Amino acid sequence: MRPYTLIAELSYRCPLRCSYCSNPVDWAKHRDELDTATWLRVFREAEELGVVQLNLTGGEPLVRDDLEELVAGARALDLYTNLITSGIPLERARLENLRAAGLDNVQVSVQDVEEKNSDRIAGTKSFTHKLEVARWVKALGMPLTLNIVLHRGNLGRVEQMIALAEELAADRLELANTQYLGWALVNRQALLPTREQLEAARVIAARAKKRLKGRMEVLFVTPDYYAEYPKTCMDGWGRRFLLVSPDGLALPCHAAHTLPGLHFDNVRNQPLAEIWTTSKGFNAFRGEGWMQEPCASCDRRTVDLGGCRCQAYHLTGDAAATDPACKLAPTHGLIEAARGESRAPKTVALHYRSAKPVARP
Amino acid sequence: MSAFVERLRAEGEKRYHDRHRYHVLMHEGRLSRGQLQQWVLNRYYYQTRIPIKDALIVSKSEDPAFRRLWLHRIRDHDGDAEGEGGLAMWLRLADGVGLDREEVASCRSVLPGVRTACDSYVELVRTRGLLEAVASSLTEFFAPDIMSKRVAAWEKHYPWVDPAMLAYFRTRVTRARKDAEEAVAYVERHATTPELQDQCVAALIRKTEILWALLDSVYAACVSPKLAPKARLRHDRKEDKTMLLYPEKGLVLNATAADIAKLCTGENTVDGIIEKLSKKYSKDAATVQREVIGLLTSFAERGLILE
Repeated sequence: MRPYTLIAELSYRCPLRCSYCSNPVDWAKHRDELDTATWLRVFREAEELGVVQLNLTGGEPLVRDDLEELVAGARALDLYTNLITSGIPLERARLENLRAAGLDNVQVSVQDVEEKNSDRIAGTKSFTHKLEVARWVKALGMPLTLNIVLHRGNLGRVEQMIALAEELAADRLELANTQYLGWALVNRQALLPTREQLEAARVIAARAKKRLKGRMEVLFVTPDYYAEYPKTCMDGWGRRFLLVSPDGLALPCHAAHTLPGLHFDNVRNQPLAEIWTTSKGFNAFRGEGWMQEPCASCDRRTVDLGGCRCQAYHLTGDAAATDPACKLAPTHGLIEAARGESRAPKTVALHYRSAKPVARP
Repeated sequence: MSAFVERLRAEGEKRYHDRHRYHVLMHEGRLSRGQLQQWVLNRYYYQTRIPIKDALIVSKSEDPAFRRLWLHRIRDHDGDAEGEGGLAMWLRLADGVGLDREEVASCRSVLPGVRTACDSYVELVRTRGLLEAVASSLTEFFAPDIMSKRVAAWEKHYPWVDPAMLAYFRTRVTRARKDAEEAVAYVERHATTPELQDQCVAALIRKTEILWALLDSVYAACVSPKLAPKARLRHDRKEDKTMLLYPEKGLVLNATAADIAKLCTGENTVDGIIEKLSKKYSKDAATVQREVIGLLTSFAERGLILE
């Protein structure tokens, strides 16, 4: 078993305050970021382990002054390097430097198709500059991924989102429905769409995917709250993805350290290969031994691999439970109740990502 | 629609050349002027074969009513007088895309693969019975809108072509539908046993292969693929294989696919790539051509090459 992708969360710091941020709600507690040399060692060890794709993300990776050096180091290892950024703060000259350092792809997020709504979700004025950054990316001859997180407030504008991506000549458009963990779970009532909203958007995206085949890759990530079965989260626990948090925890996903009772090791103390193969945290949910019923005897256990462990814990309190998103889960009623709430709209204030954690609903 | 006609439709539709990469590029407005010209020049040879194969079909029939019906196809192509009919209109199209009309009319610059494909169509009709010959003429039945789609795409994407020159495509919009309906009715009436029906399906499939081969030849000669900016090759030490990486994804390539990807530098035509590979692996060019174009199409559908 080898990981193919390293997700390097370079920092939890971010100038944006999105109310669906996937960072842990207590991100501010993790202040001690890895230094340049340690990250470069992590990249090298990851490459030796089999990693070929590197996602530089956060928080906002641009807040790191050593980003150019990290990109150059990744390129020297022949890793395919993808910068996942809000585009804030970025000047054209720095983007040119990043390209010169060997950056392969830039993923820019916008929160909506027009300034007011985008800035409202981001909690800061940012939309206009993001578009400028996206245009620089293409002007410099680099591939562009446009990422838009979908929720009930913007699902109705998927058509315009596709048009925006076409206008920007994006190579890939990610229409990613909010996954309800982290800040998004705190704000679920304000974000979860109705089934009708979702279905209408899905049809539009499917049509665009067909029309733009070969020119723009259109990805529509369905929220598992409306799927019959859970998603194969991260392609399975500790199978293809390896994530290192800003303070050096090696994790199977960005939220794994929010699960209680699991021990994760720090790359400062141990070689990555050892953590990947032997650590208790990585092995906790590999294979099928950990599964409970109905997963343990289910035909689909090799398809969705039990779904999302973090969702199971955050909704049921048991990380080894069947993902409640599954219609066969005994706790599926939790998801049905949330869907029901989405049908009774009322104005709910957004909790913006901040340094002070808020209580879960 | 009878089950037999439905079967013909299904078999033909999934193999029809409107799905060929060259047509996809044409209809998306992504062919260069030179690439569009080459299609017009080569396709003209196909046009010249049509009245000949239709004359062969007429010669096979003992039924005056059928012959009368089918003769109009020859007249549609050759016209009632010099300068009229489909062939003459095609030469006007050649003018419209900036080709030398005399060169096109002489067919001297036609690609060898295109010539072989078109000749094999005439041969198919010559050697088979009337029913199969008619069945092989059914291809336009599956995509009645290909001509109207083409007119719209050309007007939108190739504004440098005088729209008046698209007359051929416009006349085909209604004519093709009528031709196809007549031929379908004939085949349905005469393919009275399962064996005859199978023969009709086989003849039709053969015809779709011929149309496909024509475009393969043009694609191979006129496209010099280059890896897109988002695609990067990497040697994977773990499995000692070449990977083609792009955002969030990667393909593990086998040895042939890796050779093909490495030759996508923009400096080799597809024909050039085929030649290099058939030498390296001592395989015949036709087999290699299928592999190469198949792989390039799957790359192109992921946006991994510029054509």
